[in-house]
Amino acid sequence: MKASIGTKLWLSLLAVLAVLMVVAGVSYLSTIKQAETVRWVTHTRDVQGKLKDLLILLQDAETGQRGYLITGEDRYLPPFLSVQNSIDSTLRSLRDLTTDNADQQRRLDTLSPLLSGKLDELKETISLRKNKGFEPARQVVMTDRGKKAMDDIRVLLKDMENQELALLKVREEEARVQTDNTALIIVGGLLAAMGLVVGAGLFLTRHIAQPLKAVSDAAEQIATGNLAVDLSAGARDDEVGVLMRTFALMARSLQDIALAADRIAAGDLTARITPQSSQDVLGNALSTMVENLRRMTQEVGEGINILAASSSEIVAATSQVASSSAETATAVSQTMATVEEVKQTSLLAADKAKLVSETALRTVEISKSGRKSVEDSVESMHRIQEQMESIAESIVRLSEQGQAIGEIIATVNDLAEQSNLLAVNAAIEAAKAGDQGKGFSVVAQEVKSLAAQSKQATAQVRAILGDIQKATGGAVMATEQGNKAVEAGVRLSAEVGESIRILAESIAEAARAATQIAVSSQQQLVGMDQAVLAIQNIREASIQNVAGTKQTESTAQNLHELGVRLKQLIARYQT
Amino acid sequence: MSREKAAAPRRSIDWSDVHRRLEQVRHAVENDGTPDAQETARILAARAQALATPKLAESDGETIDVIEFLLSGERYGMGFAYVREVFPLLDLTRLPCTPPFVLGIVNVRGEIVSVVDLRKFFDLPENGLGDLNKVIVLHSTAMTFGILADSVAGVRTVPRSELQPSLPTLTGLRERYLLGVTGDPMVILDAAKLLADPRLVIDESVAP
Repeated sequence: MKASIGTKLWLSLLAVLAVLMVVAGVSYLSTIKQAETVRWVTHTRDVQGKLKDLLILLQDAETGQRGYLITGEDRYLPPFLSVQNSIDSTLRSLRDLTTDNADQQRRLDTLSPLLSGKLDELKETISLRKNKGFEPARQVVMTDRGKKAMDDIRVLLKDMENQELALLKVREEEARVQTDNTALIIVGGLLAAMGLVVGAGLFLTRHIAQPLKAVSDAAEQIATGNLAVDLSAGARDDEVGVLMRTFALMARSLQDIALAADRIAAGDLTARITPQSSQDVLGNALSTMVENLRRMTQEVGEGINILAASSSEIVAATSQVASSSAETATAVSQTMATVEEVKQTSLLAADKAKLVSETALRTVEISKSGRKSVEDSVESMHRIQEQMESIAESIVRLSEQGQAIGEIIATVNDLAEQSNLLAVNAAIEAAKAGDQGKGFSVVAQEVKSLAAQSKQATAQVRAILGDIQKATGGAVMATEQGNKAVEAGVRLSAEVGESIRILAESIAEAARAATQIAVSSQQQLVGMDQAVLAIQNIREASIQNVAGTKQTESTAQNLHELGVRLKQLIARYQT
Repeated sequence: MSREKAAAPRRSIDWSDVHRRLEQVRHAVENDGTPDAQETARILAARAQALATPKLAESDGETIDVIEFLLSGERYGMGFAYVREVFPLLDLTRLPCTPPFVLGIVNVRGEIVSVVDLRKFFDLPENGLGDLNKVIVLHSTAMTFGILADSVAGVRTVPRSELQPSLPTLTGLRERYLLGVTGDPMVILDAAKLLADPRLVIDESVAP
């Protein structure tokens, strides 16, 4: 069987369709025939109707004519007048209906003059009655010409009707035969179609449904987790064959994976899983999972090593902490004693701070008076400066007066010089006078001596004056230096004043600080009491700590054992 | 602080002493330089001492009276015999067409006297500036002129026996006008020779 499943399905369905199409065609033809028969029946009825109408119209016309002939009244005339046109139209429609029937046409050709003859007879009688009265008209009627024409028409119409009925009978027979054939064909077609459907169903069931069932059974097995399924596709290479082979392949692949998973489960992480393709989600995921598991196991191993080491350290540390807690407890006791001492000390400090504050306040007062003194001294310095300046002026005046003295001395010196010359001249004159001039010579000698003495005196005075000038120079310089010293003193005093001001501020701050210290010491005392309480709490806590540490120690021991156990566990995995 | 302390002892002036001394000086000045009793007594005692000292026995023999003057730091003497008078140099008038040693002329009470600079005359070195403000007028019957001196010390009587002939340092012209040298030393000049020196007679004419 090389054909695909689709082709087989198409073939089966097309066979059934062919049978059904035959049945439908026959039915359609039969139906058409029926319709034709019905149309002919209707046609025959129409022709019969028209023939009857024609007869009735003629009878109406005759009735109207007779009424007029008898009465002579015009009111019987309208039916007669209207009939003429109706007879023509009816005759035309009869001609139209029977165009396919030559016999009927021929009959109509003979009918038409009969009708017009009848109508002419009627018109003649009416016009005779109208123009010549009843009797001539009765004469014409008495000829039976009208009655004969009427009988001919009746016979002709009857023939026509009979022929139509005969035609109808033939056609109805044909329609009946046709209907019987159609029913036969429909029944046969249905039977053939049923046979074909059953055959196709059996064929499809055998070739498609059974292999699919096998596959679905296998899938069910796989769904329940049993991967040991065997599917042999044989030599089929249609879709079912492909499906079965692929399914078998899938089952094998799943078996491989299951095998690998089994090894992984057994702890062998060296198993390698090769994905079937890049879209193999399961294979890829398993491969990644194995890789991750391997890495994770290694990391977990390392982590457990660290955990084991850490837990050992924790055990050691906890032991230390336990001993430390014991030490802390003793230390807290000591701290309590110390705090008590500190409390005493802070009490003392508060007293001292108060004392310092008072002292500082006193010192502020003292520094104020010191500042006042410095200001006074600055003022005194200024006065000294003024005195110094006046001294300098006095000395300068003295110096100028010394210069005046110098000028006087120069004059005196000049005089002495001249006296000396005078004495010499006197001596010369005395010498010239000879012995008589001896006494005068002595006088001249004396004058000379006096001149020499005055000169000596002036020299002395000049020397003294020089000394005085030097002394005044020195005095002026000393005064200047004194002035400068006083200026320096004023500056220094200002600095001292500033320093004292700053000192006073500092002391004021110190006083405030000391006050704050006193307050703080008070607070410290309160704080110390609180600290004592807190330390008591700490002592209790540290006792609890000791107990807790012991618990922690045992917990750490447990942790250590857990680490060792984990180490053994992880050793079972081969990576 | 330390400076003030260091300065304190130096400043401690004994003001009362100062006042006392000033008062003393003022008193002395007001008394017009008259020495007080103590000073007077001291001076008188000194004088008495001086007078009590026996005078050196005046040597017999010939003496000469000289006028003693200073010139260029050296002491000179000049015999009285030819000295007319001494006066301070005032209003010197320079004189053209004269030798360099003639300094100029002065008016002495209506008499015109020429002034000679002995340093230039003797060709002495001019050791610095001198006062040169004294004129000693030499006089003879034939000649009158003045010589310049730094200062006139006075008159003196020198015994002739003390005079020594010369000094080795004196050379040239001076030796010619030298009379002698005393032990002081003082150079005694011979005024007569000076007055008779023909060089001092100046007769020069300037071509018209």
